[in-house]
Amino acid sequence: MNDFQELENELRALRPARPSPVLLERIEEAMVENCRADASPAGQPARLPYNWLSLGFGLAAAAVLLLFAVLSMEHRQGSDKEIAQVAPASETRPVVPALSGGRGVDGSISSNKFVPAGATQVVYNTRNEGLQFADGSREPLRRLRYQTRQTWQWRNPSTGASLRVSYPSEEVVLIPVSGQ
Amino acid sequence: MDNIANHENWKSCFSEIGPGLLLFARQWTRSAADAEDIVQEAFVKFWRRNHTINNRALLYTTVRSIALDFIRRDKRRARREATVFAHADSTVEPQFEWEDEAQSALAAAVNCLPHDQREVLVLKIWNELTFSEIAGALGISQNTAASRYRYALANLKKSLQPQ
Repeated sequence: MNDFQELENELRALRPARPSPVLLERIEEAMVENCRADASPAGQPARLPYNWLSLGFGLAAAAVLLLFAVLSMEHRQGSDKEIAQVAPASETRPVVPALSGGRGVDGSISSNKFVPAGATQVVYNTRNEGLQFADGSREPLRRLRYQTRQTWQWRNPSTGASLRVSYPSEEVVLIPVSGQ
Repeated sequence: MDNIANHENWKSCFSEIGPGLLLFARQWTRSAADAEDIVQEAFVKFWRRNHTINNRALLYTTVRSIALDFIRRDKRRARREATVFAHADSTVEPQFEWEDEAQSALAAAVNCLPHDQREVLVLKIWNELTFSEIAGALGISQNTAASRYRYALANLKKSLQPQ
């Protein structure tokens, strides 16, 4: 760098133009304005519109969210009521199709409907009540009495809920007796 | 120097660094008036943010940033910006106060330097920044700053040699 020492001295001797006095005045004015804006309370109201604007946007957003939440809750409650009203009807409806082969009346499966899931008939007692002759018949008939317990079951495929009805029943069967 | 934001000494600070700041701002402007606008905005911004004058690199970074924004604001200047670095020799003219023909020739030689070299030279000679500070202000490495400075001096010496 010693090679350039003389050149560097010459460059330092070359003075850049000085700023105009007007520039110093302008900077001073800007400094004073900034000081006033920072220090005086009058500077604070200028920020208020921005704060109010932010607050307004925040409140509006909160109100919209609240509105959506209320609408969502109402919609959910309406759905619950609908299920509660449909469910009792479904309990009785499958009885008919179950007896007619286990298919629904309309053949469709709704989320609120119960479909037959099974039927059992347990014979827990059979009693032979002897022979008897029917009116106008010359052949005897054996009278058998079956005591059973029938169970019907329905199931809601969408919710997994099940319904089971069980009751005792008696059945009398007349069997013709042929002599060999 | 102390923190210029905390006392009324900013005037003496500015009178000390003002000419160098203005010369640095002239790197991107054709007129002294534009350069003064840039320096005013940068110095007030720097002062208001309560930076210490010791962090000079940040002050010059502020000047540079505002100068580039100043150029982009105007379409004509934006078009010029695309070519200002390519034709910096003829369009950018740092302003000096010379006393004789030798200084006039030296000022002309400085004006003819490539932009990146002249930028480092202005910060080093007339603003007395270290290479570390120059590197921080221009966003380049310290070695690059030193290298550009050496190239600037070499080019000046070559251009000032009698033919």
